[in-house]
Amino acid sequence: MNYILPHTWSGSIQTVTIGATKQEGGTRSVSYEIGGDTDLPFMNRSGKKPLLAYEICDDTAIWPQVVRDAMPKGISDPASWAAYGEKTLKPDCIRLNLTSTRKPNSSDFASISATVQSVLAATTLPLIIEGSADPAVDSEVYIRCGEAGQGERLVLGTAEADRYRSVAAAAMAYDHIIIAQTPIDVNLAKQLNILLRETGIPDNRIIIDPYTGALGYGFEYTYSTMERIRFAALKGDDDLAMPMISAPADSLTVKEIRESDSPSEIAVSWERATAVASAIAGAAILVVRHPGTVLPLRTAIDALWEGSRREVSDGA
Amino acid sequence: MIQELSNTKGEMMTEIPSAIIRGREKISGTISALTGDLAFPETAYHLPITYAVTGREVHTADAARTAYEDSDKNMLIGAEIVVAEQEREISEATGYTGFIEDALIRKLGYSLVDGSILGLCLILGTPPSADTAAAICRELQEKLMLTFLCGPVITVLTDSGVKVDLSLRLIPLGATSIKGVHFADILARVAMMFGGVPPGDVSRLITYAAERAKAFVIVFPSLSDEEIAFVDALRILNIPIIQVGGYEGGEWLLSDPQTAVSKGMELRGITVRVTAIPIPMACSPAFEGKSIRKEEMFVEFGGGRSPAFELLVTRPHGEVTDGKVTLIGPDVDQIPEGSAVPLGIIIEVAGKQMKSDYEPVLERRIHNFINYGEGSWHVAQRDLIWVRITKEAVANNLKITDLGKLLAARFRMDFESLLDAVQVTLITDKDAVTRALADAEAIYQKRDERIAGLKDEDVSLYYSCILCQTFAPNHVCIITPERPALCGAITWLDGRTAYEISPSGANQPVEKGTLLNAVSGEYEGVNRFVRKASHGEIQRCVLYSIMDAPMTCCGCFEAIAMILPETNGVMVVTREFRGDTPFGMTFSTLAGTIGGGAQTPGFIGISKSYLTSDRFLQAEGGIQRVVWMPAHLKEEIRVKMGESFHEKGFDTLFSIIADETDAVTLDELLTYLESVSHPALSMPSLI
Repeated sequence: MNYILPHTWSGSIQTVTIGATKQEGGTRSVSYEIGGDTDLPFMNRSGKKPLLAYEICDDTAIWPQVVRDAMPKGISDPASWAAYGEKTLKPDCIRLNLTSTRKPNSSDFASISATVQSVLAATTLPLIIEGSADPAVDSEVYIRCGEAGQGERLVLGTAEADRYRSVAAAAMAYDHIIIAQTPIDVNLAKQLNILLRETGIPDNRIIIDPYTGALGYGFEYTYSTMERIRFAALKGDDDLAMPMISAPADSLTVKEIRESDSPSEIAVSWERATAVASAIAGAAILVVRHPGTVLPLRTAIDALWEGSRREVSDGA
Repeated sequence: MIQELSNTKGEMMTEIPSAIIRGREKISGTISALTGDLAFPETAYHLPITYAVTGREVHTADAARTAYEDSDKNMLIGAEIVVAEQEREISEATGYTGFIEDALIRKLGYSLVDGSILGLCLILGTPPSADTAAAICRELQEKLMLTFLCGPVITVLTDSGVKVDLSLRLIPLGATSIKGVHFADILARVAMMFGGVPPGDVSRLITYAAERAKAFVIVFPSLSDEEIAFVDALRILNIPIIQVGGYEGGEWLLSDPQTAVSKGMELRGITVRVTAIPIPMACSPAFEGKSIRKEEMFVEFGGGRSPAFELLVTRPHGEVTDGKVTLIGPDVDQIPEGSAVPLGIIIEVAGKQMKSDYEPVLERRIHNFINYGEGSWHVAQRDLIWVRITKEAVANNLKITDLGKLLAARFRMDFESLLDAVQVTLITDKDAVTRALADAEAIYQKRDERIAGLKDEDVSLYYSCILCQTFAPNHVCIITPERPALCGAITWLDGRTAYEISPSGANQPVEKGTLLNAVSGEYEGVNRFVRKASHGEIQRCVLYSIMDAPMTCCGCFEAIAMILPETNGVMVVTREFRGDTPFGMTFSTLAGTIGGGAQTPGFIGISKSYLTSDRFLQAEGGIQRVVWMPAHLKEEIRVKMGESFHEKGFDTLFSIIADETDAVTLDELLTYLESVSHPALSMPSLI
């Protein structure tokens, strides 16, 4: 099989830098430049390997049961969880999901700053934060995330079409990156990016989340939307030329896991398979929640990328 | 006017232009004597105004003096230097903020971008009474503005028990009005922090202040000359200065204290967002799809059972009271259950950006909004509407006036940037409906004429529609005055309006560019646009042709036109027509074949009204090519065109176009066409 397919694209994917080292004004041990691709994944040049993010949360009440069951003993707070993740699973970044803000009438905003600071102190990896999802508390939540992470070039999520102002404001005020999520729809993705730009967010601070359906439960829509976003970008549409992030969290709650005798194994397979497919569709960051997924996903991605490089050089 | 005021009330008047001259001299004098270092605490922006305007990082009196002289004695810079000197030792007395550090500005800027603060207001001077000042502050608080206070107004407020604090969105900057400088240094820092305005780039600073920083100033009497010179200089940043008396001459706007806030907000285009609608019925797009059956219905309006209509019109600003709802006629408590009642819905709107061209587009939203109500339902448009309210809603105490509240609130919410005020009149009295309906009809007709007279060559821009790309990824509609979108729902005017209302939306302007072929309607600009918008899939889009690179079809078309090679003509079949066609396929089978964004020569999806356009199939000879269409479509066109049906000679032509009563199979059709000597038979060959 030969991956060489001559095609001249007029566009390329915007580069976005996430995390900030000491030299860059932060405290991370590493920062990453994502994006910059000039072709489809695996075509001609294989593009950059996606980053792997391990996702933790500050309130496990709404975390998938199968993930809670798989959590190692002795983790009592997000900071120790993040430290465990970095040390044991060796992901490229940590994603902190502020699930505590999803409780009805959540108002303990002071603890958000403390949580973010404690996780930043516990890990040296670049941090992605998933904040609230309720316009009533967004403003309070995102200003604290932004402030607590000032200088660290966090990736802040999630902006949506009808509630993006607070995330955008935090990204602008405290120099962070923003995740723009739309429900598996290329036009809405474009529109949201335009809205964010009008707010004043530069293109190189936006990451598209096209929303990741679970494999077998709508992932094909995600795949084709990601493909179309990448095609549009390569054909010169600047409004869609941002790198993409994919979080296959939906794949941890599928019926097959609930009904299985070995739910953890099925969950890992499901999450990994969805993430691999997202990588092939062009995701620059893959976010997984099951601790068992990280290492096999790493193996799969390495094999895919190294494998494809071999193919290209063999063919050339 | 001002002179009269001073005569009748006996107030002291300050003459602004001469005060400015004196103020400039005093400030220049102070600056010329300055020595030593100058700096504000906890900021990376040095003297922020000076830094923003000149790009210089000033830390000493000497450097400040040079910057001031080099800026041609810019009064904002001058006042900043004077204040920096005053605050050299101690920032401000207790109870005042003085210079505000960067960290806090970041938070304030956050709230501005975030929308939790809608705009900024600076109040300075000595108010005529504590009540006047308190009322202005309260209004600003209620309207989500962030208010900065300086000078005697602060003590007047606090002495009368008004609390001032950042948490209350009332920020006491300093004991003297010159401390209003901090308002300007905040604007300068916000522009540099959030607006990416480089230090020293005055034109970008001014643009940012004009477009993004929604600020205005309210001035009470008794400012000193220096303070007047400074305040007046804020006009450079396009900040309106509103005085409530005490000054004459100059460029400050005079207002009553009661209307100062609304005047400032109007000048800056700041509108308050409505969040909850106070009616006893849930209201959300989630309910849009429900219908109300007869058994559930308490009352209905229109739908052929009673006269009913809806109308949205633009009025001048002063004539619309925002949120006002008027009911003329009985409400539900005086209406028997199960009855059909007349209804007039008249929505009057005002807004600086609103244009009468937008009226029909906004009017169509009445349909959505009434359907948002859990217990209300709406179909059709204009004088064809049909509205129902459920028994359950009425049992929950819903009144007809609540529909008015719902409409007023939703219009304000959804068209926040467009509308400043919306008032609704509902009419259930039969005679009043009849009278108002006559006026509405006249307006409908005027609107129709506006688009009817418009020709493709009259405009330089067409509009695109890619709404359907969600399911037909490469489909692009090009909408021209004489060719509406193939769904029939969007005319050229609607496309233009949609673009103006939502410049990043699915309708974009299309430059026609060089005309390549006038007859077939091919433009170089249209081709270029379609190529890009179809992601490179479609290379050409010929607007008036069915054979040569015709427009793509999504799936929403009202009708399909397709060639019947054997007849050398074209048949048209509508979505409503369920029967077989001479081609041997029904509409739905055909639709499935040509939809999905494909370009299929020989087949086009069209709106019904495109059929009667002069541009219809212009490349292939126009409507003379049509050999077959359903009978209901002929009748619909005849009714809709009225007089012009005869004027255009359609009565003769349509009488020889076959319908399902003349021919169902191709053989029957051929026989029929020959029997009537249909013109298509002798036209140039289609293929």
